[in-house]
Amino acid sequence: MQVIVDNLAVNYELTGSGKTIVLLHGWGDNHATFNRLIERLQARFRLLSLDLPGFGGSQPPLEPWNLDNYAHFVASLLKKLNITPYAFIGHSNGGALAIRGLSQGVLDADKLVLLASAGVRNSQPLKRLTTKTVAKAGKATTFWLPRDTRQALRRKLYGTIGSDLLVAPMLEQTFKLTVRQDVQADAEKLTLPTLIINADHDPAIPLSDGKRFHELIPGSKLEVLSSTTHFIHQEETPKVATLILGFL
Amino acid sequence: MPRKLGILRFNMSKLTVAVIFGSRSTEHDISIVTAIASVIKPLELSGKYNVVPVYIDKQGKWYSDPLLSDINLYSSGNIEAFLSKLKPLAIRMDGKLELVLKRKKVITIDVAFPATHGTHGEDGELMGLLEMAGVAYVGCPMPAAALAMDKALAKTLAAAEGIPTSKFEWFYARDFAADQEAVLSKLADLKYPLFVKPVHLGSSIAISRVENSKALVQAIEVAAHYDDKVLVEEAVNNLIEVTVPIIGNHHPRAALVEQPLLKNSNLFDFETKYLSGGKKGKGGKSGAQGYSKLPADLPPKLYKQAEETALKVYKTLGCAGTARVDLLIDSQTNQVYFNEVNPLPGSLYAHNWRQAGVSNVGLVEELVDLALEREQESKKLTTAFSSNYLKQY
Repeated sequence: MQVIVDNLAVNYELTGSGKTIVLLHGWGDNHATFNRLIERLQARFRLLSLDLPGFGGSQPPLEPWNLDNYAHFVASLLKKLNITPYAFIGHSNGGALAIRGLSQGVLDADKLVLLASAGVRNSQPLKRLTTKTVAKAGKATTFWLPRDTRQALRRKLYGTIGSDLLVAPMLEQTFKLTVRQDVQADAEKLTLPTLIINADHDPAIPLSDGKRFHELIPGSKLEVLSSTTHFIHQEETPKVATLILGFL
Repeated sequence: MPRKLGILRFNMSKLTVAVIFGSRSTEHDISIVTAIASVIKPLELSGKYNVVPVYIDKQGKWYSDPLLSDINLYSSGNIEAFLSKLKPLAIRMDGKLELVLKRKKVITIDVAFPATHGTHGEDGELMGLLEMAGVAYVGCPMPAAALAMDKALAKTLAAAEGIPTSKFEWFYARDFAADQEAVLSKLADLKYPLFVKPVHLGSSIAISRVENSKALVQAIEVAAHYDDKVLVEEAVNNLIEVTVPIIGNHHPRAALVEQPLLKNSNLFDFETKYLSGGKKGKGGKSGAQGYSKLPADLPPKLYKQAEETALKVYKTLGCAGTARVDLLIDSQTNQVYFNEVNPLPGSLYAHNWRQAGVSNVGLVEELVDLALEREQESKKLTTAFSSNYLKQY
């Protein structure tokens, strides 16, 4: 389904019946990431999954956005669809988005589920340092090359160090704005019951980030899955669904 | 990495065919596949033509280089780097179509083969340009293409000629923005479920099926986001959707009546058509257009009726070369309704023609011949003559 929100064409799916849960995907992902999870939740809940602007079938933002812009956008969408969410489930950057939106009062819900949530932005100092160093060194040493050769080289370098920027290169400025946004201070302000689920060997978000959110969010519950994937809702669907159903 | 530019090799005894594709359209990428897989390769395989790829980028700049017929250039993401090394084409249209390449090298085009989809190409704009240039071109003439690409106009004309259509209304997006209530009251007689469509877009982009007035408003907003004109029509009950590719000028003939199979959303949408790649199943065929029954599973009388309706629509709109007519059938009442015409079917519907006994090469050769036939006929028409009219001034 499509709907126009703040002059952007937005793709979404609404399934099941009951209280509404809003699912927010991570950077470079889309609504379909939650399909398996939705299958296991739809008997009890109505589920709204959407492609955030710039991803899947939704139009990209007309200018670079940060998490606040995304949070306001989600609020506008909910208003348009006349939905009062019972809970948010946010994966990776979608988790950071939910934390920021809820702490600022832009979004509202009774409960929150964070799946391998991003938002602790200083947790991978080595990788960040590598990225920064490579970017700076790359800029300095290739400025004299033709633009297209420079961009091809840049793609190769970023690919080698595994930067998420490659997933959606046209959203470069938005990427920079969102990944700079640390939400630890926001997490501290949350008052709603929160379930945090992380994998112990997640290659993208270390378990320490989940533990950090657990410390920061009062009364939160941390569940750790023995897994090597970042996409726990896809790879560990039965376990994740059971934990969520128990919590909600 | 960017590739080196290609070298043009021409045989002067052969016809030179320019395949024009891409353009400023939501279906830009689909056009690339149609052009390369279904037009350029078969034209090259026939050995009868000098084939010149002419690519229009998303900004509307025209380019030509032999390497533009390599799909890897687009799929690898290297196309922009490659284009940055090319000079956009200059075009001359003084009684013929000429492409002016670098170092003033000129290619004279004998036949233009539009392989564009959607806006700025399939909708008659490109055909108008080719008409002005006086070059033979493949496919529907400009007026037919423009009519077909306006779903509201096509249905209005078909209905006026006695071809059944489902009940519909259309309006301008600006009128909806100015007075929503007035537009909704115009739609009040239509019975749900309804389909809401931008009138000019193809590939089912921004088409919604709605069950109630709240969803109707949202669907109109979506359609109006993409187009300045919106069509709202009643859904056909007990629906069998079929599509009929047709070829020919004055004596058109149909390929097989094909039945696209719907997914759960009740809509043969962009994703099903082009992104899902189709699913294998009994009696079905998957291809560029998704999953379909070929030929359609219809009783012989209904099959014939569908074929005849499609041919009548083709002639009524003034189509030539090729087009595809989409029909909706109520399987209980056996009523066949005209839905829309696609004046430049994706991949030329070569999979259907193949099953109907026409090879990809045979298909493009016949289309080039039909273009030349139409050009000969138009040359016989008087368009200008000497007069003494100006002497009185």
